[in-house]
Amino acid sequence: MSRSSRAVVTLPKTAKRGEVFEIRAIVQHEMESGFRHTEQGVRVARDIIREFVCTYNGKEVFRSELHPGIGSNPLFIFYAKAEQSGSLEFKWTGDDNYLTIVKQTITVL
Amino acid sequence: MNQRRFFITSLTTLSLSPWQSASATPSEAMQAMQRIVGNRPVNTGRIYFDLPPLVENGNLVAIKIAVQSPMTQNDYVKAIHVIAEANPLPNVVSCYFTPLSGKAEVSTRIRLADSQKVWALAQMSDDSFWRTSVDTVVTLSACTEMI
Amino acid sequence: MRLLGQLALLGLLLAAPIFSYADSRISAYTLMSPSNQAMQNDMNLNPAMFWIMDGEALWADRNNPSNKACVDCHRDAKQSMKGVSATFPKRVQGKLLNLEGQINQCRTTRQQLPTLAYESKPLLALSTLIAYQSRGLAIAASRDSALEPDLQKGKLLYFQRMGQLNLSCAQCHDERAGLKLAGSVIPQAHPTGYPIYRLEWQNVGSLQRRLRNCMSGVRAEQYAYGSLELSQIELYLMQRANGMRIESPAVRP
Repeated sequence: MSRSSRAVVTLPKTAKRGEVFEIRAIVQHEMESGFRHTEQGVRVARDIIREFVCTYNGKEVFRSELHPGIGSNPLFIFYAKAEQSGSLEFKWTGDDNYLTIVKQTITVL
Repeated sequence: MNQRRFFITSLTTLSLSPWQSASATPSEAMQAMQRIVGNRPVNTGRIYFDLPPLVENGNLVAIKIAVQSPMTQNDYVKAIHVIAEANPLPNVVSCYFTPLSGKAEVSTRIRLADSQKVWALAQMSDDSFWRTSVDTVVTLSACTEMI
Repeated sequence: MRLLGQLALLGLLLAAPIFSYADSRISAYTLMSPSNQAMQNDMNLNPAMFWIMDGEALWADRNNPSNKACVDCHRDAKQSMKGVSATFPKRVQGKLLNLEGQINQCRTTRQQLPTLAYESKPLLALSTLIAYQSRGLAIAASRDSALEPDLQKGKLLYFQRMGQLNLSCAQCHDERAGLKLAGSVIPQAHPTGYPIYRLEWQNVGSLQRRLRNCMSGVRAEQYAYGSLELSQIELYLMQRANGMRIESPAVRP
């Protein structure tokens, strides 16, 4: 059983072949760094997203390895080259069986 | 040494220990870069690293990194790493690109624990390395909070 | 000639309302860096967006003894909640209520649900959703004369010294606004953006959380969440900020 949370992905619905388009991906996650302490002095355990991957028709376009130094609700703005119509898949994995997948389609003219 | 002076000295020593913050040092940051680069030479420059020189709150700092590259199969940016000299851990994020990325450019939001030098390290498809750094001052809220 | 002069004077008098005194009140938004301002403006980048989405889910949630969700009475929040948060705090059935208090009153009396605790995720989600519908509108503080005693009490609390540091709200936020405290510029303290995503909290929080934060900052014993005193201070602050543009949910450092 994996935990999941909301993710919002923004990219254009259509693009011209060869055009480089912008993708914004933000996911709801506290990114508990593992360096915080409660008022009683007990360390709050690390619980972060470890990896984010974007594939376009199965081919990797962007990947990032996240460490506790990434802020809460991780945001990535990156780019992809429009080649063929199809789908983009966005996958976030992390501590404690965290998994969120979002898919979106694009039409390449 | 009289009793009172001894007492005050040991009090000071005891109270100093919470101030030993768990943070990386410049040398740990260099080691983190070393692990990525190995023996290969590192050039300076070529990277556009947008990180504000004055940060109002280190909990969420917007950054943008871009490297000019044709991004073809023969010549593209393989990875960009961000390394912070005074965070508890030096590695902040590693971003990997392919020719399909179109542009070697990424924006994200990071945490900065303290005023420090932050490095951006880029690895090219021919395994050459480039790096640049930005010095930033991180301020904190004036009033502390008791939940 | 004389008629011309009289006409000119009339013209000037008619034009006078256009030239109003410059409003010296400014939001803490202007003190932020451009990237933090962008984070607030663009709902695509504003971390509070997730609280709004959570609020939308709760708005339609019928899982309660009355089997009624907010949507059943209030329909689409985008329409019905427009301008609502701009009028709080106000008197509702004889009681001084802020937005959180009103949400809880609806829950207990109409949904047979227990109240939500301050700073709990569901209460923040609902208050963020509702406040967001007033973004861009002016604060429209209630003119109800029955509010006068609460308003005067709120004003008294605002000007009263408190805590081990023996400071009043007014001493920092009226007398010294624009000057610096430990490297940060002291804002005028207008609650134009609540609930806010505060970078310091890495979370969305209410005005009452921020007020308690200030109180602990001057080493005063904090008023309890939901206390009459905090609502009265809220009332005074909203009246003081009457007419200013709402930015909810704002981002603050």
